[in-house]
Amino acid sequence: MTTPVLICDDSSFAQKQMARALPRDWDVTLSFAANGAEGLDALRAGKGDILFLDLNMPVMDGYAVLETIRREDLNTMVIVISGDVQPEARARVLKLGAMDFIKKPVDEATISALLDHFGIRGAPGKLRADDNIKVDDLDRYQEIANVAMGRAGDLLARLLGAFVKLPVPRVNMIEGSDLKAALQTIEASETVSAVCQGFIGAGIAGEALLTFTESSFTDIATLMRHEGEIDDDVQMELLMDISSILIGACLKGIADQLDINFSQGHPVVLGRHININELLEHNASRWNRTLAIEIGYRIENRNINCDLMLLFSEDSLDVLHDRASFLDF
Amino acid sequence: MSDAHSDINAFHWLMDMVQTVDVGLIVLDRDYRVRLWNGFMENHSGQSGAYVIGNNLFELFPDLPEGWFRRKAESVFVLESRAFTTWEQRPYLLRFKNYRPITGTAEFMYQNITLIPLVSTDGKIDHIGVILYDVTSIAISKLALEAANLGLARLSRTDRLTELNNRGYWEECLITEFARYQRSKHPSTLIMFDIDHFKKVNDTYGHQAGDEVIRVTSRTLRASIRTTDIAGRYGGEEFGVILVDTSAEQGLYLAERIRKKIEALTVTFEQVEIRFTISLGIAQANDGMTDHAQWLQNSDLALYQAKHGGRNQSVVFEPEADK
Repeated sequence: MTTPVLICDDSSFAQKQMARALPRDWDVTLSFAANGAEGLDALRAGKGDILFLDLNMPVMDGYAVLETIRREDLNTMVIVISGDVQPEARARVLKLGAMDFIKKPVDEATISALLDHFGIRGAPGKLRADDNIKVDDLDRYQEIANVAMGRAGDLLARLLGAFVKLPVPRVNMIEGSDLKAALQTIEASETVSAVCQGFIGAGIAGEALLTFTESSFTDIATLMRHEGEIDDDVQMELLMDISSILIGACLKGIADQLDINFSQGHPVVLGRHININELLEHNASRWNRTLAIEIGYRIENRNINCDLMLLFSEDSLDVLHDRASFLDF
Repeated sequence: MSDAHSDINAFHWLMDMVQTVDVGLIVLDRDYRVRLWNGFMENHSGQSGAYVIGNNLFELFPDLPEGWFRRKAESVFVLESRAFTTWEQRPYLLRFKNYRPITGTAEFMYQNITLIPLVSTDGKIDHIGVILYDVTSIAISKLALEAANLGLARLSRTDRLTELNNRGYWEECLITEFARYQRSKHPSTLIMFDIDHFKKVNDTYGHQAGDEVIRVTSRTLRASIRTTDIAGRYGGEEFGVILVDTSAEQGLYLAERIRKKIEALTVTFEQVEIRFTISLGIAQANDGMTDHAQWLQNSDLALYQAKHGGRNQSVVFEPEADK
């Protein structure tokens, strides 16, 4: 008997990866959903006896899906597949009724072991045909960023001893003149401090840019148990500590997935207590196009706004495309 | 055999490079004992590797900020992630002499530090690498540039004679304050005043005496206002004060205090005693105004009334008197 399996992930690339990780001879009917709301509709239509569920999605996230499944008593087995590797995230989804939690990127061996463990594989059926999910570059980059973001978020959570709320990374190709406009999407009604750090390796180069809103420092200082007044020196320390970890972990996460290594330059303080539009005032752009990945980290119950932007230079794009395409197979 | 030989050779070259490279390299174990101390570190610290290796870093260098360094290093051990510190945070990790002790201007070497996790053969992180860069020349030129810019900024907004804000900058402040008022609707008041019969002071005692009178007036003004008030020299003998979060009534109180102080003053210039007075106009920002110029105009009107009313007095602008 064929098993209805639902894969719920906003990234078509992640959907594809997940589908590929399922045993080829497992007799299933695959359905896909791009966010929690679509996923629930599919479940109600009986399309998911087994649900592979992502956590960070637009419209409705994985946590809300789990809550709804429980409330409506929908008949499904949920396995969470997420880049959010904080122990707290795992604990939360298990508490909400998920059967298991698997870190992205998924691989065949892990899924196979899991299916055997729960005894849900059944007898082998006929080989499944290739899926025909279309994936473009931005999809791939978004999913790579998603995994890297999760790792960096986990380190940040451990450093601060708090739960980090992970967003859906925003991936955009921007024209040179639009970089300022891109920066302005960072929600900041107040002044910010920013650090940037260059990276290069295997023909891929770029800069990581981390901005903090002014009011974040009080809460960060509390979480990091900084005693005494939070003067400029303390702010500088916090800025450097957090940027080292977030930028470092994010770049390592990306490099690991692409199977390369990055050299990192020394971080540079781009500005302190300035308006976001002053940030790039003295930086003339020499390129026409850049790939921008933006990740807005928020800390639960704290007023901490910390945005990480990874910018890849135009001449990196071909290499990046080639490297990322390998991940499809 | 020849493979092993070339391996040994390669290792020797590598060690030579590590010893000679003009960057500080240290390896520390989990207990902060030094495991590698390259030539740069030997030469700048004056401590040989033989003396340093195997000993605890904090015992070797008691001046090193232990708590701070441990916090950075622990995050490298535990999170397996690199850490960076710049000279802007802390000028140096270890106080070394400037590489150019004769022609260099810095007393010590500014340092950037990178801490990296080192993976052992068993895959564990039980050592970290410390890389120490000499960034003295970069730091010095950046500090000099910042100081120069700061100096220029100050110069470009200061009036030479009075050391008050000059007209251009003061007017910018007025525009900003008016915008702030429009947003917040917190009361805000402007005082404009000038020295009575100043032309007569100049004509009678000379321009240098006139300058002295202006200087003394500015000094009195500066000594009378709060730190949040913004005073500027508007024209020859005309001054303006922006009083943030202040009503016209409170502004009048301040105006009177300044007026009485000036009235009581005697300026002595080349054995000549000069006494003088000022007239002041006060206007509070209100919703009827569309720009800062109207605010300025209202204060000027009040100042004109003070002059007309016999000088040496403060007048608050009344909107009805407009009509």
